[in-house]
Amino acid sequence: MIRVVTIEKIDPADMAFLTATLYRAFGLGTEHAGDRPLPRDAEMDDGRLDAVKFLAEVAPVRTFADDKVLYITSAPLALPPGPLGEPPCWGFAQYGGERAVISTSRLPERGVTEASIETWRRRLAREAIHAIGHLWDLHHCYDAKCAMHPSWSPSLPANPEMDLDAFCRDKSERRIRLAKT
Amino acid sequence: MRGPPPRHPDDQREQLPAVEGVIADAAELEPGNRVVYPNQGVCEVVGVEEKDIAGQKLQLVRMRREEDGAAVLVPKNKVPSIGLRRVATGEQIDGVFHFLAAQFEDPELDWKVRHRDNADRLIAGGVLGVAEVVKGLHSLSRIRPLPAKEREQYDNARHLLVHEVAVSLGVPPGLAEDYIDYALMPPAGVEFDLKPPPKPVLLPSRPKRRRPAAAEEESVEDLGLADLGLGDLDLGEVLEGVPEVADAAEGESAEGGDTAHAEGTEDGEEAVTEPGEEGAEEEPATAPAARKPRKAAVAAPRMEKREAKPAAAKEPSKKVEKAAKKPAARKVPLKKAEKPPKPVKKTAAKPAAKRGGKKK
Repeated sequence: MIRVVTIEKIDPADMAFLTATLYRAFGLGTEHAGDRPLPRDAEMDDGRLDAVKFLAEVAPVRTFADDKVLYITSAPLALPPGPLGEPPCWGFAQYGGERAVISTSRLPERGVTEASIETWRRRLAREAIHAIGHLWDLHHCYDAKCAMHPSWSPSLPANPEMDLDAFCRDKSERRIRLAKT
Repeated sequence: MRGPPPRHPDDQREQLPAVEGVIADAAELEPGNRVVYPNQGVCEVVGVEEKDIAGQKLQLVRMRREEDGAAVLVPKNKVPSIGLRRVATGEQIDGVFHFLAAQFEDPELDWKVRHRDNADRLIAGGVLGVAEVVKGLHSLSRIRPLPAKEREQYDNARHLLVHEVAVSLGVPPGLAEDYIDYALMPPAGVEFDLKPPPKPVLLPSRPKRRRPAAAEEESVEDLGLADLGLGDLDLGEVLEGVPEVADAAEGESAEGGDTAHAEGTEDGEEAVTEPGEEGAEEEPATAPAARKPRKAAVAAPRMEKREAKPAAAKEPSKKVEKAAKKPAARKVPLKKAEKPPKPVKKTAAKPAAKRGGKKK
C-alpha cells in the first residue's frame, strides 16, 4: 500500500490523478493518508528543508509491513553537500525503506489553464513514481524516458514521461512480489 | 594479491598488484569490522567459527551482509584469495568521484571483452574498479541501450558502488546515489574543479586463443557442414575421392576434347577462386595460409564430381552428352570475344554469397 501524506493542502483532483498514476505504475493500492505538520527541526537557515532530517523528524503515519509513505511538501528541499558539491533536490527517499519526500517547489508553475495543470500533475506524478521507486530498491536509470532518470539530468526532456522503463518495471514488480506481505 | 581465477585450466593464475585495502590474512579480521566482499557488498564480520563439513573441520569467518542481513561464511584459508577488502577510505572515494565526473573515454565496443573485463573489475578492482564498470556502461548507454545482461551488470555495479560510498561517507544510500549521479550526469551549467583521476585498475592480460595444430587442420576441413545439416556426411570419403574425380574429369575432358577440358577448368574456377585468378586451381593444396582456396579446393572437385560421375561409371548417357554439348555451345561466343568469361564471374559469386549468408 502506498500512503500519500501532504504537508500543505493539495487540490483533490490533483490527488486523485496522483493516486491513480501510482496505482498504475506499481499495481499497489494508493490512498491519501491525510496531512501532517511541517517538522520545524528540518528547516535550515535559508528557509529550505533538510530532506534527510525531514524524513527522520516528520510525524509518522500508521503503516503495516511493506507500506510506503510519500510526503509531499511545497517547501524547497536541500541535501547535505557531497564530495563534489550539493546536488539539486527534487525529493529524497530512504532507499529500500519506508519513507520518501518530494517537493513541488521545483515543478513548473501549476497555472490555471488545463494544459499547464496537466503538465504540473504529470511532473508531480513522475517525481512521486521516482521516489516510490527508490523505496522499492530501484536505482537511477540511464534512460531519459524512465521515471527513475535523475530529475536534474540535462537529457531529461521538458515534459518527461511518468512511466518506468522495462527494466525498472520488471525489477519493481519482482521486489513487490517478493515483499513479505 | 592474486588475480581472478585462470580462464583456462592450464593457465597460471596471474599475479596482479594488490588493490588498496585488500585483506591478505584472515587474522586481520576482527568482529565488528566492516569489509567489502566482491560482488556481495559491505559485510560486517561477526566472528570465526569451526564447523564440521563433510568430515572436515573447517574454520569459517562468519559475516553478515549489511544490506539484508544475509549470512556469509568464508573458509579462513580462502580469505586472502577472494578479494575481501576494507571499506574504501575517504581518499579513495574522493578519487572515485573525480573519476566519475571526468570526461568519459570511448567505451570498449567488443561486448565479449567488455563483459569479461567488467566481471574482473567487479571481483578484483576495488571500489575504483566498480566505478569503472558503472562509468563504462553508463557512457556506452549514451551511444545505445545496453543489452539485458549488461543492464543487469550495470545495475549490480551501481548497487555495490552506492552502498560502499554510503558506508564510507556515512550517509544514507539514497543520498550516496544522488552524489554519484551528480558526478556522473551533472546538471546543465555545472562544472567541477576536478583533480586528475586515479590510475585505472590493472586487469589480467587477455588469454591467447588456443589452437592446437590438430585443431587447425580440422578447421581447414571444417566446411560448415553441420550448419548445413550435413554433419553425418563422411568427409574422408569425399576427400579420398578427389584424385579419382580429378582423373575422371581429365578422362572426360580427353573424351570431350578441348572444349570439354576448358569447361572443366572453368567450372573449377567457378567454385574455387575469385574469378580472374586462373592459376589458382593449379596449386590450391600448396598455398599455405589461404584458407579460402583450400576450402574451395575441396569444394571444386565435389562440383566436378557431379559431372564426372557418369564418366566414372563408364555409362555415358544422353544427359551427359547434353551437358557436354551445352557448354560447347556456350563456349563459341566466348572464344570469339576472347575475354575472361563474364557469366563465370556471376556464377562464381553466387554460391560464395549463399554460403556466407547461411553461415551468418
